[in-house]
Amino acid sequence: MNRVLWKKRLMGRYGNDGLLFKIILYILFIGIGFIFLYPILQMIVTSFMPLVDLVDPTTIWIPKNFTLRNYERAIEALNAWQALKDSFVVTLIPTAFVVISSALIGYGFATYQFPLKKLMMGILLVIFLIPNILMSIPTYVIYRELNMLDSLKAFIYPAIAGFGLRQTIFILIFYQFFKMIPIEMKEAAEVDGANAVVVFLKIAIPMSLPAFLITSLYAFVWYWNETSLALLYFPTKYSTLPMAVIGFRTLYENLYPQGTVGLEGASETFNQGVQFAGTMLSIIPLLVVYFIAQKWFIEGVDRSGIAGS
Amino acid sequence: MKKIKEILAKFMNRMELIYEHKLRPIMVKVGFYAGKYTGISWLIKKYQRLKHRTRSAITGLIFVLPWMIGLYAFGIRPFLSSLRMTVADQAQYIINTDTQTVDFVVNGWTFRHFVELFRNQPGHVQTMIDVFLDVALIVPLVMIFALLLALMLNQPIKGKGIFRVIFFIPVILLSGNMLSYFNQYNLLTVPAIQSGAIANGINQYLPRQFAVLITGAFERIVLILWLSGVQTLIFLAGLQKNDKSIYEAASIDGASMWDSFWKITLPGLHNLMIINIIYTTVIYANLSNNPLIGLINQTLVDVRYGRAYSSMLAWMLFVIELLIIGIYTLLIKLSNRRYN
Repeated sequence: MNRVLWKKRLMGRYGNDGLLFKIILYILFIGIGFIFLYPILQMIVTSFMPLVDLVDPTTIWIPKNFTLRNYERAIEALNAWQALKDSFVVTLIPTAFVVISSALIGYGFATYQFPLKKLMMGILLVIFLIPNILMSIPTYVIYRELNMLDSLKAFIYPAIAGFGLRQTIFILIFYQFFKMIPIEMKEAAEVDGANAVVVFLKIAIPMSLPAFLITSLYAFVWYWNETSLALLYFPTKYSTLPMAVIGFRTLYENLYPQGTVGLEGASETFNQGVQFAGTMLSIIPLLVVYFIAQKWFIEGVDRSGIAGS
Repeated sequence: MKKIKEILAKFMNRMELIYEHKLRPIMVKVGFYAGKYTGISWLIKKYQRLKHRTRSAITGLIFVLPWMIGLYAFGIRPFLSSLRMTVADQAQYIINTDTQTVDFVVNGWTFRHFVELFRNQPGHVQTMIDVFLDVALIVPLVMIFALLLALMLNQPIKGKGIFRVIFFIPVILLSGNMLSYFNQYNLLTVPAIQSGAIANGINQYLPRQFAVLITGAFERIVLILWLSGVQTLIFLAGLQKNDKSIYEAASIDGASMWDSFWKITLPGLHNLMIINIIYTTVIYANLSNNPLIGLINQTLVDVRYGRAYSSMLAWMLFVIELLIIGIYTLLIKLSNRRYN
């Protein structure tokens, strides 16, 4: 009797609620989590080190002379608050357009039958597969002709038209999620007199909330970190945090010319500690946004469960 | 919090009432006259008289319209001009400093770049084959790892919120300029594996060649884990859509977890898997450490090859991507048919 009870506790009833299963899961989580966390941890620790600790080989993980000075200087040199504002402008507006237009296009492909649909989806895929090297210069020429350079138009217009950053993937994700909605539901709504827009808003969207969540997250991260295109299209108009981090060294050395002596008598030259402090500043907003968003991830389960029955 | 919610609810209620009784009648009237005098209502009447099939085709086309405009504006021309370049005798972009424009100059039609590649450049062909095999190997491995990670993250355990944030780190660090930045500071590998206690242990107790194999495999696994961040979340979103009651019904019918994974979970993820394969192939093939990309960049500036040859190589990369996606999609479609 006792042995049976123990076995149940260890192995669980369904196979995924036993103690053994959970222990293995936690070990895997912590191991893999360490691999992902390692660069971030390394960066956080280094960003709190003054120059004395950086050159000291005995200091590996824990800084001996903990300092916030790196962050203060990084915020100053990057003009962080203005850059943060710019980052949100450059990121949020294209993200909103990308998500809405991908949803519309994906819904059109998933729900309706029209001539040449297969061909169109083929073209959609083929254009995504073309290596970036081939597309970059012709695209730049077109943007110049359409007078889209030096403004956010260079991100917004393609986003509306389904040609934003890796947008094909978003369109395909929406396509799959809308395809999973049973046709009977849409037909029933149409019999009740609902038109296409109402069906889209009242049935399709509530049933594919996870798709909306991940596409907006990815679009947010990708636009946030997109520095090379931003530097190509609007190098001077906006200066986002990641853009500023690329030119960080020059910005910093303009502010603190080499040989400047700081408060504690230490040299203020550009070093890895400052560099990592700047990079952390550009990553932290993303982590915060994701931490807030992942709670909706869990909520999304119940809601789609009810609607899907 | 509760009070704020109540006030909000009250406010929304009132707004709704105002909208229903005051705003809506006006809007309906305005809409009616606007429709009547601009001819829109005539169009709508015409539209409603159409057959159901034509009507749904038109609606679908309206939904897809933005993409069609985009295809015309941003898609077709770069596509055609780069395709044209591969069969051109001479092709280059000339920057006109007077007018600040970039002119695209192509002369002649020829297939000599293809002939050159396959007859005189065995090294380049070898690179292509290597890249093909490399991508073809990485893609299924990434799929397996992403699926495992997604299944793990979907388990009801404590602290999964924190783990979900941690597992999102690859998505952040592998986008934009971040990848080369982290490579530059050598942060994407775990040094403990290469030089630390684990490697020492492996090197001491195992034969040399075997040890190299194991550490190599470990490095590969770390790379694959880093590459599978985006795919994991796509799978996770797919898993979240699955209905829990199906699993309960299956387990009542006596299906084990193993059975329900193969018969319910996996078939439900097949289509998302195709998307993930497309994504993985494209991203991995376009990483800057891909030797073929290096070759393309190198031949671009090399006078002996020129831009036309380089863009032909880029199209070869495209063909490689297409082949890999085609093969795996076909495999998935075939296995899907078996279940149905």
